[in-house]
Amino acid sequence: MRQPPKLRPTLWDFLTALCVAALAVIVAVFQWRGGQTQGLTAVVSVDGAEVDRVFLGYAAGEKTYQAGDYTLTVEYDQDGAQVLASDCPTRDCVHTGTITRSGQSIVCLPGRFILHLEGGAADPNAIDAVLG
Amino acid sequence: MKLTTKQLTLCALLTAMALALSYLENLFPLSLAIPIPGVKLGLANIVTLFALYALGAEQALLILLSRCLLGALFAGNINALFFSLLGGLCAMGAMIVLSRRQVLSVYGVSVGGAAAHNCGQIAAAMLTLGSSAPLYYLPVLLAVSLLTGGLTGLAAACLFQGLSHTDLMKG
Repeated sequence: MRQPPKLRPTLWDFLTALCVAALAVIVAVFQWRGGQTQGLTAVVSVDGAEVDRVFLGYAAGEKTYQAGDYTLTVEYDQDGAQVLASDCPTRDCVHTGTITRSGQSIVCLPGRFILHLEGGAADPNAIDAVLG
Repeated sequence: MKLTTKQLTLCALLTAMALALSYLENLFPLSLAIPIPGVKLGLANIVTLFALYALGAEQALLILLSRCLLGALFAGNINALFFSLLGGLCAMGAMIVLSRRQVLSVYGVSVGGAAAHNCGQIAAAMLTLGSSAPLYYLPVLLAVSLLTGGLTGLAAACLFQGLSHTDLMKG
């Protein structure tokens, strides 16, 4: 062998694992913090282009999207959104379940489909002001 | 790179084993338990890790490239080639750097490789989708890499121990 490996864990292995865990925590803090649950808007993108935008305050029901060769059915309600059905090979998008906070996404890689929640948007049909 | 017949045969054998392990892990989809795109056991990394120590970085890289190319061809999914190549090259780079520092065992090198592989896969997803949305999954994938890297490290350690009494790797 060119370089005989150490076969028993060393202190440096634990430090390496600790670095990986620390990186996970740091990314989580930046990616997961402060997700809002009110005034959510679901933004649907396919192949990098936005194809739909749904304000969740209206509990819109189900919608079907064509993403490449695949068809995805998304269910929207006031609490969040989920991919109900997909004919993509992995169906990770379906298994992800419901997303309920701003910043969360459901990704279907084979279909290049992204369902992303944005938060804090004002109700687009809300009354701006009442006069008189 | 000039290979002897023995080295070429070993590279071919290890490539075939890596492809078989990639196929095998599809029978145990980790994504059913952790529903995140790209989450997998990474059993083929056992072969990469073994090749890195036993044959050196150049031949390990050759095996990795052959495995990624043949895997994509056999699966009929050329789109997956970019993901496996970027993930695999990141893992290989990390493992080469970590293995050169003689202080780490195969466990630490394997965990570092698994974490780098997941970072590479997320980068590939971000480039493919043109969005930073996949970054949302990175913390979970890094946490999973501690488990999968530890498991592949254990498998590699058993392999090295099992082969320590043979002359297979000498010369």
